[in-house]
Amino acid sequence: MAVEQRTPATGDLAPSERIPEPASVAYGRAVRRRAASLARLVVPFLVLGLVWGAIKVLFDLDDDVLVSPTTVAAAIWQLIERGILPDFIGLSLRRLGIATVVSLLIAVPIGIALGLNRLVATAFEPFFRFFQAVSGIAWLPLVIVWNGFTERTIIVIITYTLAVPVIFNTMVGIKTVPQRYADMCRSLGGGTSRVLRDVYLPGSLPSMLVGFRLGIGYGWRALIAGEMLVAQGGMGDLIFAARTGNQIDRIMAGMIVIGALYLILDQLILQPFEDATVAQWGVLRA
Amino acid sequence: MTTTTAPSSGSVPPPSRTSRWSRRLTAMSPALPFLALLVIWYVAWVVFDPRPAVLPAPGQMLRTATALLRDGTLLRNILASVERLVLGSVVGILTGVAAGVLAGLNKRVAAFFNPLVVFFSSLSGIVWLPLALVWLGIGRAMVVFIIWNSVFFLVFSNTMLGVQMVPVVFEHGVRTLGASRLRTIWQVTLPGAMPHIIAGIRAGFGFGWRALIAAELIGATSGLGQMIYSAANFHRSDIIITGSITIGVIGVAIDRLLLARLERRTIERWGMV
Repeated sequence: MAVEQRTPATGDLAPSERIPEPASVAYGRAVRRRAASLARLVVPFLVLGLVWGAIKVLFDLDDDVLVSPTTVAAAIWQLIERGILPDFIGLSLRRLGIATVVSLLIAVPIGIALGLNRLVATAFEPFFRFFQAVSGIAWLPLVIVWNGFTERTIIVIITYTLAVPVIFNTMVGIKTVPQRYADMCRSLGGGTSRVLRDVYLPGSLPSMLVGFRLGIGYGWRALIAGEMLVAQGGMGDLIFAARTGNQIDRIMAGMIVIGALYLILDQLILQPFEDATVAQWGVLRA
Repeated sequence: MTTTTAPSSGSVPPPSRTSRWSRRLTAMSPALPFLALLVIWYVAWVVFDPRPAVLPAPGQMLRTATALLRDGTLLRNILASVERLVLGSVVGILTGVAAGVLAGLNKRVAAFFNPLVVFFSSLSGIVWLPLALVWLGIGRAMVVFIIWNSVFFLVFSNTMLGVQMVPVVFEHGVRTLGASRLRTIWQVTLPGAMPHIIAGIRAGFGFGWRALIAAELIGATSGLGQMIYSAANFHRSDIIITGSITIGVIGVAIDRLLLARLERRTIERWGMV
């Protein structure tokens, strides 16, 4: 980032000669800095909106092909007003939430158990690499045969998509925890559960979170794709059903909401969490 | 598993029969989980005796796979999918690298594009499907667009990041030696950004391959995704599982044999870590 410190007149003086500035000046500067960083975030999107609007007008595109940004904004507002959007967002997030809890409950213990033995971990690496490559969505047809077009189908798919990278990365994380750390904990009188809780769990957490974040990245998309096909509500269903009526405004409104939701999930929740974890325990990262 | 006890005295042990066996076993060990899964599958099939639509017998699946291979169905669908993947990825990589370099060279331009790229990579891939269906209809162009979309933004953002990470000193150094701006980009900036670019390509492939299958489930008349989805309509679980395994094998092969190696070589050659 271009953070050119444009300090006021005091900048040229030596620290000892600096006149303590009044609180109002410092406050004003903080406000300006906030405003500038907000502008850096908002302006590109405003420009994009303008370009988009210009394309619509200049090429005289039909509403079946492209709608104007204002129409999309109106569509978002209408979806909120009718309660469809809160409903469908809730459905999608609920599915993701259930799948997250279930997959973590399954994946973390398995990952730890497999990672504790070097030979076992080596043996299982290709296995999980393979299943990571068979994306959740590739199992969708089979799960539909098993469970029909139901809620459970979607949740099974996302749980799978989340669990595989978490198992794999937990296993790898545990494997990279130096044996002597565990030995040291034991020699100080720690039991097995103590060693697991205080050595292996924190030691593998950074890697585990990398897996979880990747899993959410794949899982979120699997959720959208699954909802499109299963058609039981949710954001994927919203945009896919709008296609049959050529409701471009609704499709684009849904897309924007989907992008924003994922952004919040990934950048505002997972990324800071991962950074904090890596900062605290990341020394073990191989 | 037999563990060979390492002698503490430091004398070199003769290569005993057991140690050779244990080494061989270790090398073979990755096959064990797959074998175990096969056994579980077979036992489940015997115990629960499910309808073939729900779960085929392993032997039945093998017969189906051979039949699909023999009559060319599998190969035709693999080729259709891979062709779309290659087309979408190549266009995505070329446009992504070009756009990333252009944007990355200027700090202000990069700062402008950064929020947009982050936003668009967060809705890349399958989210575009409904719009792509309206714009391009069912078929190859639509699927290629989805793959391009998955690859482009990840490559774009990684290239931009990589270009910005190349120390300016290197560029200045080469320029003072008389190199033109274009030559500097070609011989300094691009190689310097290469580890990031390759990482972007690898991540892009991960998302692109998944998006491809999802797009083919819904909006294609051929390809592996279409093959397994139409098999679901006829409750042919043997065809579905054959297809899913094929999807996995191709994904692993491209990632491990091609991209992971490429990444390692690039980091060894140009990495600055």
